[in-house]
Amino acid sequence: MTPRPPRFLRRLLAAVLPEGTARDGLVGDLDELYADRVPRGRVKAVVWYTRQVISAAVRYRARRTRGSSGQRARLAGLGTDLRVGGRMMLKYPGLSLVSGLAMAFAIFVGVVVFEVGSLYVSPTLPLPDGDRVVQINSLDAESLRPERRLLFDFEEWRTSVSTVQELGAWRDVRRTLVFEGADGPPVEVAEITAAGLRVSGASPMLGRTLLEDDERAGAAPVALIGFNLWRTRFGRDPDVVGRVARLGGQDVTVVGVMPEGFEFPVSHDVWVPLRTEGAGLEPLSGPPVRVVGLLSPDASLAAANTELLALGQRMAARYPASHEHLMPRATPFIKGFSGGLAGEFLAFGAIGVLVVMLVLLVCGNVALLLFARAAARESELLVRSAVGASRRRIVVQMFLEALVLGVAAAGLGLVASAGALSRWVGPFLEFNEGRLPFWMDPHLSPRAVLFALGLTVLGSAVAGILPGLKVTRGMASRLRQSAAGSGGLQFGGVWTAVIVAQVAVTVAVPSIVYFHVWQVRHTAQFEAGFAAEEYLTVQLTRGSTAIGPGGAGADIAASFAAAVDEVRRRLVDEADVLGATVVSRIPRTGHPDYRIEVDEGPSARASAVGAERPEAEVAHIGPSYFEVLRAPIRAGRAFDAGDLSSGERVAIVDESFVELVLGGRGAVGRRVRFLNRAPFPVEGDSEQWYDIVGIVPDLGMGRPSKRGPFAGLYLPMDLADQDRVHLMIRTRGDPTTLAPVVRGIVADVDPTVTVDGLVAADDVLAGELSTNRLMLYATILLTVIALLLSLSGIYSVLAFTVARRTREIGLRAALGGGRRRIFVDIFRGPLSRVAVGVGAGSLLIFLGLVLLPDSSFSMAEDLAGGVTLQAVGLLLGYGAFMFSVCLLACVVPTRRALSVEPTEALRTE
Amino acid sequence: MGGRATLGEFEHLVLATALRVDNGYGAELIRELEARTGRQVQGGALYVTLDRLEAKGLIASRLEEPTEQRGGRPKRFIDVTPAGIRALAEQREAFLRAWQGIEHELDHA
Repeated sequence: MTPRPPRFLRRLLAAVLPEGTARDGLVGDLDELYADRVPRGRVKAVVWYTRQVISAAVRYRARRTRGSSGQRARLAGLGTDLRVGGRMMLKYPGLSLVSGLAMAFAIFVGVVVFEVGSLYVSPTLPLPDGDRVVQINSLDAESLRPERRLLFDFEEWRTSVSTVQELGAWRDVRRTLVFEGADGPPVEVAEITAAGLRVSGASPMLGRTLLEDDERAGAAPVALIGFNLWRTRFGRDPDVVGRVARLGGQDVTVVGVMPEGFEFPVSHDVWVPLRTEGAGLEPLSGPPVRVVGLLSPDASLAAANTELLALGQRMAARYPASHEHLMPRATPFIKGFSGGLAGEFLAFGAIGVLVVMLVLLVCGNVALLLFARAAARESELLVRSAVGASRRRIVVQMFLEALVLGVAAAGLGLVASAGALSRWVGPFLEFNEGRLPFWMDPHLSPRAVLFALGLTVLGSAVAGILPGLKVTRGMASRLRQSAAGSGGLQFGGVWTAVIVAQVAVTVAVPSIVYFHVWQVRHTAQFEAGFAAEEYLTVQLTRGSTAIGPGGAGADIAASFAAAVDEVRRRLVDEADVLGATVVSRIPRTGHPDYRIEVDEGPSARASAVGAERPEAEVAHIGPSYFEVLRAPIRAGRAFDAGDLSSGERVAIVDESFVELVLGGRGAVGRRVRFLNRAPFPVEGDSEQWYDIVGIVPDLGMGRPSKRGPFAGLYLPMDLADQDRVHLMIRTRGDPTTLAPVVRGIVADVDPTVTVDGLVAADDVLAGELSTNRLMLYATILLTVIALLLSLSGIYSVLAFTVARRTREIGLRAALGGGRRRIFVDIFRGPLSRVAVGVGAGSLLIFLGLVLLPDSSFSMAEDLAGGVTLQAVGLLLGYGAFMFSVCLLACVVPTRRALSVEPTEALRTE
Repeated sequence: MGGRATLGEFEHLVLATALRVDNGYGAELIRELEARTGRQVQGGALYVTLDRLEAKGLIASRLEEPTEQRGGRPKRFIDVTPAGIRALAEQREAFLRAWQGIEHELDHA
């Protein structure tokens, strides 16, 4: 594959070049030359490319800005100020380093949050005519739900709508793909019409695209494959076109390969023709599909909707039974997926709170540090003022000094965020949200660079102008006072508030890390309750219903049940398999929970034991589940084959259930029922009682990252009700070696069944743990940086305020004031600020614990779970540490002031 | 336009290289320039110069079909116009005249 320059730099280059020959030609040329250089070292190539980008930016910008002589003079003045800014940075290296790192950190956090936020809030479709791509949905005005059985309407729209071209339909299916005997994880297939694929504007890299002829009944089955699949499963075979692969049990001929990055419509690997074969002849029939199209060049979205509305009314008149309440509507393609994208972003609320706290911390910190720097330079500023510099001139210069620091910080922050976005953010989002749509590709965009520059200017303005204004206020009177030998710069109310807030946030932030650590530890220690290392787990998913008249859903369900049973039976016959059983959820992967009620008999209804409205985690299991897991039945019996056929409702509970729900009393013989809603598939079953027939040990029910213990309840599984089941296979030796055997058996029994998640039961937590750990390390790193910056800021400012009083201390010492008395007086102010800050920080933690549990965010419960004596001890210890840092900040300059001769002290300033 | 056009040093080098790499495009010109002059050429500088030469009528450029190897970007092919060739010839003449009789001085350098 041709090596490409870093995407961010490439986009930056395209953004700085004027549209036309320069942009088209130069970007391509530099791509080519970059590829020439990569064999000599990628780092060197990137450095070379960066220089090229900077040079192009400078040259093309310089051409645009050729100013007048007045402008040139101002620019020369600006240059001097910037040089002074650079020198200032070097003159106070420690302070510059700390505040520069703080700003880089704020920019890093801001950019990452901005990019992730824009992915959700304002995504753009990276297609040639992205802004013209629309989805047409049909909303049921009565139920306010979208109607997806659109094949009938689609045919009608295709022939009558003129404002939307290339109307196409597609539906998602997952299929197992076998090529030359090798299979792998299931692939995402789009069954799509040729017109639907044309909407993307992309053409295949090899072979041809899908054609209308492919959709006809009787046409040879064909497939178009994606670049990644071609690379990983077809070994980059250049002659892949014309070869045959097996897709979901059907032989298909590969007719083309789509280019890298192409995953339209959402995140698909394979495209096959959507064959309606007579489905959708009747209104609201056929499988659910989505309809996509391209707005005509001369039509607006509003015009398309006017046309669709009129068409909808005509159809409602013609088919009142089905279409009376249906309203077709075109929406921009991405919006058509869900209005919930922004909502999903809000689900990152907890991270948002952390980010806001960190950014606040940093901003306050930089402002404090620069104020301290400005105050330290007070005499220099007074001299400048005395020789004629206006207040505006001094403030502008301080702003430019901060800007120099800010630009250096922005560079660092941008490099760090580019790395984090491409390496960590994508995998993190994919882990939490599943595979991302192709338009959600986290990277540093030119838009984010502009955002960072905006932040830099804003940050520099706050950090430069505010202290500048403060320092230069009343300059003239201070000049006089200074000549008379008294006065000096004092902290005002705003700065006191900033320090208090800074201390408060510094106290509160580490608590988030503490709870995070608790969560990771808790997850890692969650007991399976059985010898997980001996088991292989696998998820089997039912194939989609074929399109066609009749749709035979029940037959497919029955055949899936038969297939799962057959796979299980054949597995048990394998030499290395000691047992196999089915379950709806693998232990320790989180189970759905339900509110339940225990039948306490008529006399005890009011005095229910345990929680008032107990909850139970529910799993459906096969009859041999406990036997295969070698879990002893503590009381009663296990399920048997007769439990399903007899129509009796039975349940088995675990020991935590007995403890939590029944307060340790005997369970067998009691009855439970589900409140509000019942587990699938027994809809409307909330009135039915289930007899508890057995008790088993705890077997990993519940969510590892949440606070336990959990009450577990098992129901017998009817395979015919399941779309997806898990097999737990007990093996001799390493369970993962059995994976190919499982794939082989499933492919042989029913190729439409997809196989996922072939992992050892011991490793089911690995993914969750690694993401949690990644998050934890990131949080620790960010927090440590923030705390170091914050503590150094607080230290320098407190030390500065005390040092300002050297003169007073000297005077008092000279007049015979007691050291103790002086200490108390000097410390009272700064330490009371710190004490208020520590108190406010503790209040923040407390509020977080009290308020969060009421929110729907699940972390709240976990946070509450983490509060222990140890946590309180840590908080007190940390508070004491904070206090001693602040004390030190006061003690050092006070001692220094006391140790100098009073006459010497009087001479300061 | 054309006949009396004066060329800067880099313009001269670019024009001569474009003549050498007949019907060449940006990347080829950069490779050739670097090989001939031994110094690193900035793409931005080349393109600004090409724009200027084109404005003076000394070269003509056209964009060809985008290719996959170049990330879907087209190539900008350069042809030196008769006016460009004339300008090069005049400049060369001027240089040769300027050097006449003093080339042996270079031996002492």
